[in-house]
Amino acid sequence: MKDILTCVMDIGENMLINGAEVHRVEESIQRMCYALGAKRVDIFIITTSMVATIYGEGGAFYSQTRRVTTGDVNYEVIHRLNKLSRKICSVPMTTAEIQAELQDVLCCKKYPSWLEYAAYSVIAAAFTVFFGGGWAEAVVSLLIGFLVRCTIHFAEKAIHNKIFSRFFSSLVATALAYVAHRLHLFDSIDTVLIGNIMTLIPGTGLTNAFRDLFTGDSISGLLRTVEAALTALAIAAGYFLVALLGGAVL
Amino acid sequence: MKEALLQIFMGAIGSMGFAILFNIRGKRFITATLGAVLSWGSYLLFSRFIGDNTVCYFLASVLTSFYAEIMARVLKTPTTTFIITSLIPLVPGSSLYYTMAYAFESAQGKFVARAAETLKLSSALALGVIVATTFTKVLMTHLAKKAQQKKEKAVIS
Repeated sequence: MKDILTCVMDIGENMLINGAEVHRVEESIQRMCYALGAKRVDIFIITTSMVATIYGEGGAFYSQTRRVTTGDVNYEVIHRLNKLSRKICSVPMTTAEIQAELQDVLCCKKYPSWLEYAAYSVIAAAFTVFFGGGWAEAVVSLLIGFLVRCTIHFAEKAIHNKIFSRFFSSLVATALAYVAHRLHLFDSIDTVLIGNIMTLIPGTGLTNAFRDLFTGDSISGLLRTVEAALTALAIAAGYFLVALLGGAVL
Repeated sequence: MKEALLQIFMGAIGSMGFAILFNIRGKRFITATLGAVLSWGSYLLFSRFIGDNTVCYFLASVLTSFYAEIMARVLKTPTTTFIITSLIPLVPGSSLYYTMAYAFESAQGKFVARAAETLKLSSALALGVIVATTFTKVLMTHLAKKAQQKKEKAVIS
């Protein structure tokens, strides 16, 4: 029973780390525990912490708490964990088998990191054109997008804080756009900045926040909303700082 | 027309970028990208007939979320995968930017108008997702109940 809880919590924890909604994680854990023979399951999950207690035969119960720090969104891992949890519910499995499959899922393939840098550049350039920029703006945006990804890389190495890394990225993006604009490389600074803001914007956070709020996970929803609002403020702060200094220097 | 196609194409490319960042692969990668085509394409279509921008956003969001719910069931994967990536072209990045810019310029009237717009558009987006998700959930529980009843009837007879 003890091993079962550990196994199931491991799966749930990894779902949460990789960006699954709270509701889904709670439901998966509950189903898996019942399928593995628990008589009663009580779970409480918010985005940063999990608590679960399961009751077995004869009144024995086990409880576990996990502190969770969410990482990068990885839907491939969530997809596979989801598959694994369905399998556990339909076919009887031993805890050793589950652990083996879990390890297998966790070392699944990721896109190479150069592609991630390329993705940032391409997103920025695509949305520059999307919001009405010309080709000159798109090229500048492409380069800035790449440098923004580099900034995130260094910022996250230096301080493990998402809000600060967003602040620095926004600062770098705005500063570069200002300089390039001063050099008359392009006309519309707005579209370049919008393109780059699209890569930084907490769009996923806000959508998930609203979904959590309306499915009844109010605490998680509020946490996510606050996080999204702070991220937006950090982006604005980076922009303000450069605009202020830019106004003074240039 | 040409402009619209370029915009849809660029929106799709942008979503593809996000699909890479979120490590979405294979069939799901293509589905997510097509979802972005659907979201912006349907928005442009709605905006031809409906004057109010917020309503168009809402309708496009509902349509795209239904697409996401259906594809998630077909490909047996969490719905979020498609909702997040498909709706990316609808994220109001430009109105957020102008809100920020006008706040900096202390242009009170413009700032308030843009802030209200950003809020309206993002609520329309989220509301669309919620409507589609709730509807699907109700439908699924209803279907499950019916299947259960059929089974019980078969057992009795």
